[in-house]
Amino acid sequence: MAFYENTIIAKQDLAEKDLKSLREKYDTLIKNSSGKVIKIEEWGLLNLANKIKNYKKGFYIHFKFEGNNKTLDEIEKKIQLDNSIIRFLTVKYKKLDIKNEYFNKEKTK
Amino acid sequence: MKRRNKKFQKKNVNSLNKLSLFQKNDGKFSKKCPLSIKNAPIIDYKNIGLLRKYITDNGKIISSKISSVSFNKQKKLTKEIKKAKILGLI
Repeated sequence: MAFYENTIIAKQDLAEKDLKSLREKYDTLIKNSSGKVIKIEEWGLLNLANKIKNYKKGFYIHFKFEGNNKTLDEIEKKIQLDNSIIRFLTVKYKKLDIKNEYFNKEKTK
Repeated sequence: MKRRNKKFQKKNVNSLNKLSLFQKNDGKFSKKCPLSIKNAPIIDYKNIGLLRKYITDNGKIISSKISSVSFNKQKKLTKEIKKAKILGLI
């Protein structure tokens, strides 16, 4: 088992209901495939630095979880089929730092 | 840089062949790495404020000669900057 971080960029023209369902969908997906969700962050609507698939803005959702290669395979398969996601990135970590939140506006670090 | 400093010091030690008056006295150029001090900021692809300091306006990575970041940290920086570029943060 190792620690991973997964960020998803969703399309900007989604309703709030869709975003919630999107978040719950991947939450349950990780849990069902022998993984363990540690934290979920929502960075909100951010401007993209350059156009991605003709979109200028995107909703960022950030997962921190523990799992093995099976969970990774399953998530990436599902993400690539998903039409409402523009781009994603998964990074492996030895240690996760849960304290720091760089995109939390209230703290403004 | 280092070699130049050494030459400078040797010449200064010998008081007989002193340099000209117009030459600057302290020839130090090298800075210490700003990312390997105590309590240094974390290099991470989410920490955009830090990464923005080490790229130009066009998105190029600044070389370690200019920014005086150590070799190890420069390697880390480039990797994290590229991750942030994939996500469209920078």
